[in-house]
Amino acid sequence: MFAVKTTKLTKKYKDLTAVDSLDLEVGQGELFSLLGVNGAGKTTTIRMLCCLAQATSGEAYVMGKNCGSEKGKVKSIVGISPQDTAVAPRLTVKENLMFMCRVYDFDKQKCKQRTDELIQTFGMQKVADSRAKTLSGGWKRKLSIAMALIGEPQVLFLDEPTLGLDVLARRELWREIESLKGKMTIILTTHYMEEAEQLSDRIAIMIDGRIAAIGTLSEIEKQAGAQGLENAFVAIAERGVQQ
Amino acid sequence: MNRIFAFTIRNIKELLRDPLGYIFCLGFPLIMLIIMTLVDQSIPKEAVTIFHIENLAPGVAVFGQMFVMLFTALNVSNDRSGTFLMRLYATPMTAADLTAGYIIPMLIIAMIQTVITFTAAFIISVVIGSTLSIGGILMCMLTLIPSALMFIGIGLIFGVLFNEKSAPGICSIIISLGSFFGSIWFDAEKTSGVMLTICKCTPFFYCTKSARSAMALKFDGEGFALPLFIVVLCTCVIIALGCVAFSKKMKADLG
Repeated sequence: MFAVKTTKLTKKYKDLTAVDSLDLEVGQGELFSLLGVNGAGKTTTIRMLCCLAQATSGEAYVMGKNCGSEKGKVKSIVGISPQDTAVAPRLTVKENLMFMCRVYDFDKQKCKQRTDELIQTFGMQKVADSRAKTLSGGWKRKLSIAMALIGEPQVLFLDEPTLGLDVLARRELWREIESLKGKMTIILTTHYMEEAEQLSDRIAIMIDGRIAAIGTLSEIEKQAGAQGLENAFVAIAERGVQQ
Repeated sequence: MNRIFAFTIRNIKELLRDPLGYIFCLGFPLIMLIIMTLVDQSIPKEAVTIFHIENLAPGVAVFGQMFVMLFTALNVSNDRSGTFLMRLYATPMTAADLTAGYIIPMLIIAMIQTVITFTAAFIISVVIGSTLSIGGILMCMLTLIPSALMFIGIGLIFGVLFNEKSAPGICSIIISLGSFFGSIWFDAEKTSGVMLTICKCTPFFYCTKSARSAMALKFDGEGFALPLFIVVLCTCVIIALGCVAFSKKMKADLG
């Protein structure tokens, strides 16, 4: 069974087709990156897979559950860290995590255990009692990802997790994301080529709502006839624009 | 139920940690209570009865509830403007969980605000030598529960319909009109014609009227039962509209 499978998945907003007949298969335990320029359809794809947007046509399945007809089941097995750091600003790091535990209906003991576990995993001990709004961008992103992991998701969606972070914070977050590899399926969207290169098992390049290229880094380089992901991306993107 | 409780606790903490909440929800009504008492003490007793503490306290309590409306609107619109609500939409939380989680904490805060307002009013009444009746205060506090819910419902609707920049502006208009037509700062019933008709067309007038009657322990049909019935009716309609608006907005966001 694929962790994520879509067939002819399409999303239209009036005259704009954000995602166009997307066929995608992501294996369990894979870290899969969706690359693309602004408006390529990456976030819309993630939104449909998390049941945050209704597909206009086509089907999407997460761990075999239909995103259209089995929303409750899908929501219980996915976690999402949205583009903006979606945290409660006046709650502390610990309180944010405890709140998410309660949202997933954990009992008191599990709430404490899961909160402590995630604070440990992300090295947030020294900011555990700080209010979220006082945290730096890097800490906020870590908290946002930790909140997405509370429900022990089988599939984790990270929407541009390092957007706006400085190089050190970005590298640190990469290490955290890498440490999650293999424990769950991760779908990541990003603008940063080196991020996709560093973290991904496979990469898909989206242009105008369609997948223009998909595969491992070397497969994409081959498809593009260019060396390095950035050159391959530019070659594929320009080809896409010309078509 | 656990999810509603979790969201309620989150909202209470967020509101109690916002210093603006104390200034507007507590500070401003208490200042008005003191200033208007000073005004009342500075004019002949028979000139304006609306500022006598037994009439002023229920009016100021209604006035304070209007700021709870403002904070409900701000809370909802702020959550909507970021992606925090989006994160919650991707969890098993339902529209009903979220709506209840917005209404319950605001009702608790409104009740705490009412208790503080009446405690201050009681102290003032002792100081000026016209002690308020404890029974009247308790009845008035109970009578004000439906109006608190009504203002929370209005805040919920504005929070859903407007963003975090325009919601406070719209609420300020309602606060100004509400305190005017609600007969808080003048005795609308001593006016006549169009002014009284306009006041009677708004639910704010009945909030204040029923609260003042309760404070006076006068439970007659015209002064208490009918105004309270109108407030309860408006509350039911407004809360229902708020729930529908939130649910529709959630569906639209997930469309």
